[in-house]
Amino acid sequence: MEKSRVKTLQDLIILSAEEFGDKPFLREKNGNSDVDTSFAQLCENSRKVSSFIAERSNGEHIHAAVIGGTGSAYLTAYFGTVCMGNVIVPLDAQLAGEDLCDHLRRADVSIFFYDKKFAPQLDDIKKGCPMIKTFVSLQDDENSQEFTMSKILESYGAMDWQPVKPSDLSSILYTSGTTGKSKGVMLTHSNLIDNTMCQDNESTPDDVLLSVLPIHHVYCFTCDILLSLRYGCLVCVNDSIFRIAQNLKRFKPTVMLLVPMIAETTYKRIKAVHESSPEKSMKEIADSVFGGRLKGIYSGGAYLNPELVMNYRELGIPIAQGYGMTECSPRISTANWKDESVGDVGTIVNGCEVKIVDGEIWAKSPSVMQGYYKNPEATAESLTPDGWLMTGDLGHVDEKNHLFITGRKKNLIILSNGENVSPEELENKFSGLDWVGDVLVYAEDGVITAEVYFSPEYLSSHSREEAVEQFRTHVDSINKTVPFAKTIHCLRVRDVEFDKTTSKKIRRNQAVQGEKLD
Amino acid sequence: MFEQIKETILQYVDVDPEKITPEARFIEDLCFNSYDFISLLGELEENFGVSVNEEEVVGLATVGDVMEYVEKLQQN
Repeated sequence: MEKSRVKTLQDLIILSAEEFGDKPFLREKNGNSDVDTSFAQLCENSRKVSSFIAERSNGEHIHAAVIGGTGSAYLTAYFGTVCMGNVIVPLDAQLAGEDLCDHLRRADVSIFFYDKKFAPQLDDIKKGCPMIKTFVSLQDDENSQEFTMSKILESYGAMDWQPVKPSDLSSILYTSGTTGKSKGVMLTHSNLIDNTMCQDNESTPDDVLLSVLPIHHVYCFTCDILLSLRYGCLVCVNDSIFRIAQNLKRFKPTVMLLVPMIAETTYKRIKAVHESSPEKSMKEIADSVFGGRLKGIYSGGAYLNPELVMNYRELGIPIAQGYGMTECSPRISTANWKDESVGDVGTIVNGCEVKIVDGEIWAKSPSVMQGYYKNPEATAESLTPDGWLMTGDLGHVDEKNHLFITGRKKNLIILSNGENVSPEELENKFSGLDWVGDVLVYAEDGVITAEVYFSPEYLSSHSREEAVEQFRTHVDSINKTVPFAKTIHCLRVRDVEFDKTTSKKIRRNQAVQGEKLD
Repeated sequence: MFEQIKETILQYVDVDPEKITPEARFIEDLCFNSYDFISLLGELEENFGVSVNEEEVVGLATVGDVMEYVEKLQQN
């Protein structure tokens, strides 16, 4: 695809349809058979969704949210919204209840495209979000009175899109914040296009990807979806996180984008099978696990152990590690499979400048966000007036432009599956309880731990056992309401108050002192 | 069913087989990470011919919980 012709997401969709036409772009499971959506169909269907939105927006710019798993309907809602100049808000499919309403309200959403599994929550969402005028189910739903994607595609004609400007806002993506409340990262068309086009890789139209990461993450969206539109690759949809192993065998991908936890676990399994069936070589087992066509893996989202990279290389599967963040659409650095260096997170992508300020990585590029939506204070904390993004990560760059990450400046807990967990978000769930003096949440050997200091006042009239019981019950109730990755699995109780700063904030580096509860 | 699940668990983690009891907790006692756990459920789905529901597995913590859940799915 001629880079100079691609300035906006609309250009990318139109040019991919022109260049790759009826070639399948997306493959989804439907029972034992597969359903394909071609590049041309994605463009045509997106134009129909734009016609539907135009009828409802009276010429005004609107924000539409989309929530659900990767699929043709999801992407059609996405591109139908942004290619006509409106703003899409992709939401985490694990959100629910008031949290979901809060995200919808804060992003000023007026049209909501939702996965059918959210249908039981619609009444509450309507009450909590009166500004949403239109609801569209991504799947057919005979029990619902709302619009459905398939009816829109049947009933509306394709819109002739007016050009959009590269500087137009295209999306608001929520990211975990250190203050406990997620922030809406504003990305323009040119932010996402810059990140898609800045670096050439080895992809070809013969490549087949298995997309396993959550689609609301920009890492998945840019690297699985936008790069496949650019190169004409086929993206196969992993229908459930439970079925990665089955789907690898079914779709036989040539390229995969993974987080380290998946690569680690898969390697562990290959090794275990080899130990129980030593007559099979590790390479044979790896071929059977991955489908036999895998050329290489791209890894991102969390720290990748260099030993694992070496282990995969021995299997003939190179892993290229990258680094980035939602605020940078996301790639700041990337590697290719031929790069033999170990321990770094790739080289800095074209067009991106990196400098190290007091040990912290700062990045400046056309991919850097416009700021956080309606949150100038948080924007000022992350972006300098002259456009440098302060990443909050510590690291250095070597003479060959390889980037190394040495730590996290922020408090965010980064689990090895790439999930970011804001400790404050979990700590906030302990506020207002009479038995809690203070609580600190942190990761201990990869396990989320809550350490509590019981309120002395509570202990003056209750036994310690009663307080421990309250603690356990409360953590159980929190665990039922948060995504699995955020559940608390280790409890600690301390008898000495936490050390605090002058502004009465708990110092975070003093954890793991309390007694561990079984 | 317990023996079959136990055998599958041993393909994920290197633990003393005696530690795998119905009361054993996947994360705390058997050193599973969350991806090990969901992959195991995917494999049990295939082995036992059932369909696992993402929302229903949130509260499953022990080997016994998983056995009970798979049995329930088989009955339905």
